[in-house]
Amino acid sequence: MTADPAIHAAAHKLFSFTRVWAIAANTFRDLVRQKVFYFMLVFALILIGASLALASINSRGQLQTVIDVSLGAMGVFSILLAVLATAMLLPKDIEDRTLYTILAKPVARFEYLAGKLLGVVGILALAIVLMAGVFCIVLWYWRGREIAAIPFYYDPAEAAQRIELVRSGTFTPSLFGGVFVVLLRSIVCAALTLMISCFATSWLFTVIVSFAAVIIGHLVAIARNVWQNPASFGVDPPWYMDGFLRLVTVAFPDMQIFNIVDEIALGTNVAPAIFATIAGLSAGYIAVYLLVGYVFFIWREL
Amino acid sequence: MSVPAITIKNLTKRFTNPSVFSRGGIVAVDDLSLTVEAGHVYGLLGPNGSGKSTTMKIVLGLVTPTSGRTFIFDKDSRDVESREAVGFLPENPYFYKFLTGEETLHFYGKLCGLRGAALAARARELLALAGLEDAAHRRVGGYSKGMLQRIGLAQALVQEPRLLVLDEPTAGVDPAGSRQIRDLIVSLKQRGITVLLCSHLLSQVQEICDRIGIMHRGRLIREGPLEEMIAIENQTELVVENATPELLADLKARVAAAGARVVGEARPQQNLERYFLDVTRDARDE
Ligand SMILES: Nc1ncnc2c1ncn2[C@@H]1O[C@H](COP(=O)(O)OP(=O)(O)O)[C@@H](O)[C@H]1O
Ligand SMILES: [Mg+2]
Repeated sequence: MTADPAIHAAAHKLFSFTRVWAIAANTFRDLVRQKVFYFMLVFALILIGASLALASINSRGQLQTVIDVSLGAMGVFSILLAVLATAMLLPKDIEDRTLYTILAKPVARFEYLAGKLLGVVGILALAIVLMAGVFCIVLWYWRGREIAAIPFYYDPAEAAQRIELVRSGTFTPSLFGGVFVVLLRSIVCAALTLMISCFATSWLFTVIVSFAAVIIGHLVAIARNVWQNPASFGVDPPWYMDGFLRLVTVAFPDMQIFNIVDEIALGTNVAPAIFATIAGLSAGYIAVYLLVGYVFFIWREL
Repeated sequence: MSVPAITIKNLTKRFTNPSVFSRGGIVAVDDLSLTVEAGHVYGLLGPNGSGKSTTMKIVLGLVTPTSGRTFIFDKDSRDVESREAVGFLPENPYFYKFLTGEETLHFYGKLCGLRGAALAARARELLALAGLEDAAHRRVGGYSKGMLQRIGLAQALVQEPRLLVLDEPTAGVDPAGSRQIRDLIVSLKQRGITVLLCSHLLSQVQEICDRIGIMHRGRLIREGPLEEMIAIENQTELVVENATPELLADLKARVAAAGARVVGEARPQQNLERYFLDVTRDARDE
């Protein structure tokens, strides 16, 4: 073998983005080829089906309903994809002993986890872009209908004003901000699932616990309110209840930070600063889950 | 003296089973010390469950030992850096089914910091070495057992490591494939690559290993140069072609006269593996 000294000359780096990227790209490609996108078809069908059903009812405010249904469906599908795609990554690599071949290369376990998560982020981003694409087409069609439905007997000035209102009120920055929040939420769910799979012994356990955590996550804000301010709820929780509530608050992600999507679906305009805050909180959750998962992963007997 | 390829010092691994019934768990490796010199082909033998795979995984930093330390070219196995110089083929490996053979090698190459034209050339070279040129663009999911084993070997070699660790490289492979892998190991040895392997095929181990260690219940019960361990010191084998009965009688008489003793007399048989390979090759040529 013609040993190329350049191959071995460089000192080993503790963290190499090249390695993380190689694992991420590989994870992404593997998921794409597993045709996880077929379920995107289901999303498109639901959207088009709901849209047709609405058309037959033909009442006011349909445009808003379409936005509401679409963002809701996008949210559900992105969380499903995040949890299901992430949950199988580690068990599959362990079962096939592919993990051994990867970690027997100069790859740190943290790089491996980060790469896996990044690969899933890629898939989620692609899936959400595709869903948003379908969404935009459907929305564009409905905007046309809404404009066409403006009564002809309005005087031209009022009609123009209404048309402008529908035009500018459809593809708002907030709407795209909402799609971005859907992406952030799915990434947080993926990071949470990856952390759980670092200590879980089965795929099913990971899936169930992850979904449970996401659902409980929607109640975290309530739990926090109760322990921070029990008097306002007219309760005096005993110490164990208080401890439990604190534990829930700390251990589960507060999914209500993402509820802004529901408000956007109702037509509320949201300031950019709020999106920035949500992005910051999400980054915090992702970092914590990755680190805790890493600690479990180091302990784990492979 | 050069730096040993592998140093294992007082290694013990106890698996604590989550089950309540097996208190204290299983001792998979028990106070094992071993050195593999650079340039050697070292065979680790032992019945199933004797701790061979666990030892290899600890050397590669995949499993944390309960006590003891291991080094690869004097670098602690716990440091990621120690893996720069080693390639590993695990037992029954599978790779990403949806990747082609070539993509698989590119992936592992990138993990080792290779890229661009150098990586592409290296992958081609390894595909040729493993005899997988024709399958380079087929998905690994459709590979046979022997092909998986060979792509696994190619993957292990991607960064030109000085040490190869092979866990049952020929398990489940047909004789022709098994021979290919054996020949590959021999050619690697000639290039100065150190190999630690474990295998159940004792005849193959005998053909290629310089030194062997035998493990039993986590302990190393025998260790040394292969030649010394299996040679019968005071006997010599003589194989004669076209011998007449008279010649044989004469030989025996001379042996007796010299005070030596004929221990056995037999017609050498063709090795079954050789025979099988010859027959199947003929059948293929027809
Ligand atoms: N992850 C694990 N958890 C619990 N026990 C294990 C684990 N891996 C191996 N063992 C046990 O350790 C012993 C040695 O296994 P192994 O090293 O695979 O043996 P060999 O490769 O020689 O067949 C066996 O009894 C096996 O059951
Ligand atoms: Mg084994």
